[in-house]
Amino acid sequence: MPTRERNLWYVGGLAIVVYALFPVAWIVSLSFKAPSDIANGQFLPSDFSWVNYQTIISGSASGLFLPALRNSFGICLIATAISCLLAMFAAYAIARLDFPGKKLILSTALAVAIFPVISIVTPLFNLWRQIGLYDTWPGLIIPYLSLTLPISIWTLSAFFREIPWEMEQAAQVDGATTWQAFRKVIVPLAAPGVFTTAIIAFFIAWNDFVYGIVLTSTEAARPVPAALGLFSGASQFEDPNGPIAAAAVVVTIPVVILVLLFQRRIVAGLTNGAVKG
Amino acid sequence: MPEDTETERAVDRSRSRRARTVRGRPRTPALAATLVLAGAFLAACGGGEGSTPTLTWYINPDSGGQAEIASRCTEEAGGAYRIETAQLPRESSEQRQQLVRRLAANDSSIDMMSLDPPYIPEFAEAGFLAPVPDDVAEAVTEGVVESAIAGSTWNDELVAVPFWANTQLLWYKKSIAEQVGLDPTQGVTWEQLVEAAQEADTSLAVQGIRAEALTVWVNALIESAGGSIVEDPGSDPSDIQLGLREDAAARAAEVIKSISDNDLAGPAFSTAGEDANVIAFENGDAGFMVNWPFVYPRALSGVEAGTLDQSVPDDYGWAQYPQVVEGEQSRPPYGGINIAVGAFSENVDFAYEAAQCAVSEENQKEYFLTNGNPASLASVYDDPEVVEDFPMAPVIRESLEAAAPRPQTPYYSEVSSSIQREYHPPSSVEPGTTGGRAADLIEAVLAKEELL
Amino acid sequence: MSTTTLPPGTKQEPVSSPPTGMSDRSKAERKLGWLLAGPAFVIMLLVTAYPILQAIYDSLFDFRLTDPDNRSFTGLSNYWVILTDRIWWTSLAVTLFITVVTVTVELVLGFGLALVMMKALSTIRPVVRAAILIPYAVITVVSAFAWQFAFDLSTGFVNTWFGWLPGIGADTDWFGGQWSALFVICIAEIWKTTPFISLLLLAGLAQVPDVLQEAARVDGATWWQRMVKVTIPNMKAAIMVALLFRSLDAFRVFDSIFVMTNGANNTESVSFLAYRQTIARLEIGLGSAVSVLLFLCVVGISFLFIKGFKVDLASTRGDS
Repeated sequence: MPTRERNLWYVGGLAIVVYALFPVAWIVSLSFKAPSDIANGQFLPSDFSWVNYQTIISGSASGLFLPALRNSFGICLIATAISCLLAMFAAYAIARLDFPGKKLILSTALAVAIFPVISIVTPLFNLWRQIGLYDTWPGLIIPYLSLTLPISIWTLSAFFREIPWEMEQAAQVDGATTWQAFRKVIVPLAAPGVFTTAIIAFFIAWNDFVYGIVLTSTEAARPVPAALGLFSGASQFEDPNGPIAAAAVVVTIPVVILVLLFQRRIVAGLTNGAVKG
Repeated sequence: MPEDTETERAVDRSRSRRARTVRGRPRTPALAATLVLAGAFLAACGGGEGSTPTLTWYINPDSGGQAEIASRCTEEAGGAYRIETAQLPRESSEQRQQLVRRLAANDSSIDMMSLDPPYIPEFAEAGFLAPVPDDVAEAVTEGVVESAIAGSTWNDELVAVPFWANTQLLWYKKSIAEQVGLDPTQGVTWEQLVEAAQEADTSLAVQGIRAEALTVWVNALIESAGGSIVEDPGSDPSDIQLGLREDAAARAAEVIKSISDNDLAGPAFSTAGEDANVIAFENGDAGFMVNWPFVYPRALSGVEAGTLDQSVPDDYGWAQYPQVVEGEQSRPPYGGINIAVGAFSENVDFAYEAAQCAVSEENQKEYFLTNGNPASLASVYDDPEVVEDFPMAPVIRESLEAAAPRPQTPYYSEVSSSIQREYHPPSSVEPGTTGGRAADLIEAVLAKEELL
Repeated sequence: MSTTTLPPGTKQEPVSSPPTGMSDRSKAERKLGWLLAGPAFVIMLLVTAYPILQAIYDSLFDFRLTDPDNRSFTGLSNYWVILTDRIWWTSLAVTLFITVVTVTVELVLGFGLALVMMKALSTIRPVVRAAILIPYAVITVVSAFAWQFAFDLSTGFVNTWFGWLPGIGADTDWFGGQWSALFVICIAEIWKTTPFISLLLLAGLAQVPDVLQEAARVDGATWWQRMVKVTIPNMKAAIMVALLFRSLDAFRVFDSIFVMTNGANNTESVSFLAYRQTIARLEIGLGSAVSVLLFLCVVGISFLFIKGFKVDLASTRGDS
């Protein structure tokens, strides 16, 4: 590759990294500012201070933050796993089989996804209280499924539709068993779609705010975005921006690792795909 | 338990599916971790049945003072009951939303709650508050500042227990006041402040943000001018009598207009809240400020942390809220927290006992000293320790005696939002018309003819 | 319709159903189809059917949560009040503005980033890919708060850093005016959700057969022609899903507005309006009516998209 093009790639890559990570760097910088320093109008803190991290890990906010961290990860991972599983089967059926009701399922998925959560939340709250699911993990996982299933089904249907299913039969003709054909031909083709869907589903559940606030009341099930609303500043008029920034950093690091792992999986899907000549 | 079967069913489903397909990534570790977590959670939720009743006190976030009071009162109860605190969200509007949602569902777990006074009429009218026994009412109002009692009263009945009371003071830089020859401690009007700020070429920090703070300011101005926003709440929302078309409201609007016309509140007037104001005061942009007393301990901790110079708090002066009419005492804002008992609580008697313990003189003094939230009991202000830590204590007490609560009506949130809509941005306020428009809006909204 | 080249020497089996036994086979397919898709369908309905129906039912009443005894049936009058109110139309306009602006920018930017993710220099590829996806990992409310903090007059650095640009000074109050506030909101939204579109487009790009590109290149097509005539048409499904869901999400923007301006200065969106009526004012009837109207708007948008793109996900391969 000519040097000029290579250099352009480097410059471009740097620009992209700066664009993507600059606000993240800002949050990290905020997390290192002591409460009285937070409004200094500068990008960097005048004095690096660990006090915000102390507050959320061992200090006054730790009772709110650490359980919320556990809740968020557990609930979102479970919801993502169930969602991907169910969506995979539904999408397979929609893409490959011919049965009445396919359109019904797709439209229902859409309708469910777009109805404003704000209005659903109060009747759901009343229902959950009566059933006993209020302030529990399943009490959040189930509504999160309603958030993630629609986009998962639609996304996977779109991908499965493009997979050349004939190749499975071609492999079988070549002597592979049904099982081997599926595993060695179809699965690598489906992998990019599945992992893309998994990331998207996870982040939809991860970012939810309204369900978390309404359907929980204690650290038994409260997720991180809801817990951030409970952090307190030095007085009722001061916003705890420092601890919030620190919490954001702590919460984002494992997710970044998750992203790094997933992006390698998508890479694997791209390079091994039998679709390329 | 429902969670039991849900998780297990989900696990079973995924197990049987796995037999039919293969996944590109082993799921066992994730599943195992989930099961372990689920198991731990189930174990934890199984226990907790003691013989001592546990009272749950829903508190607004603070620096830990209410939790300490809870543990002290648990000790004092000597085994009769335990008090546990539960956190509410930081914003007072969100606190109200959570509590209303649960009380509307007859939540019996709410024994005590720390309520923001403007919302007390709404809760009382909706039947969310357990009635206050007469003896308790007498005990908790003895020696308490006027505004705190008014803030806990609805329909001439005490419906909550006064806890701590907040008010705004006029803060100023002594050096600047000297420079222009002004002595705010002798009573100063808004007009004089405007002139002084212009002369000294400094800003006057007031809250012009479109939030509750704006209603606080507008209310204080109208009350200081001798009027009220709501003159009679009426039994039906459409019967509400508003004082926004009267002279007092017009005079209040004049004050707002003169500050905004002369550009005295800085460039970010329409987005300035209490936090932004204190920042401007600390860094010298503003020489005058109206704000709650938290600014003082905040300056001191800034000095301790090394981000604020000692000379800054040394220059702080304080006085009662500015007057609108010369010679007529101003009516500063009133805020704070009052403790109410949930109507569906199973331990109403214990809850009132606990509330009485929480507002004892000892506890109020401790709370004042450690969290910087002024007491509602007047005698606390005579305590030498309090005066030492808070030299402005006497001014706070006087202000509290004169303070006027925000409009008392079950539709407070509508009234406040309407005021915020019409009086924001402050640069758009016109003495003859803004009050009338706000009144029209409130009436239309309460008659369900308009959205808010 | 994409085609594939199979390894030489294989017979291509026709994928058509046998002429006899159609009803048996289609019956079996139907059963299998519902068996596979059923659980997802049931779960989606389970959670939302009751609340949605309850909300629609509530919208016909004058119902305030703290005053349940005075609940009265008012039919469609809630809808009338809303549709004749200036606030509704303003928030609808703001919502449309935000949707159109953010989705357009995100589509273009997202496509560019997807290309980069796919074709970047192998040495920097992992770094660039991870960097592009990270904004999506930051919790929405935190991202909104970070952007707000950066643009805020007293606490942020934007005015200090960009003060030399015309129109920006040390005193620029970004959140004090409608357009500047909307600008910041749009930037925050774009930064945060472009990775979503990039991801979908990337996976779509990955499915476009290289062979077609090669064939086009051999035929003498330029990069642009290849893009427009080969790549994009083969990604139609992925683009449609990305655009559809992103537009639906953009139309329901809430978190950023809630954190940054709380609706001040005419920056309210329709979702925010629904939130204020239902949760802040406790007017369940009015709030539910706003939600139903929002729902109908969004249904309209999805209808337009699906018809416009002419991509039918429900048709099996070989039909379209």
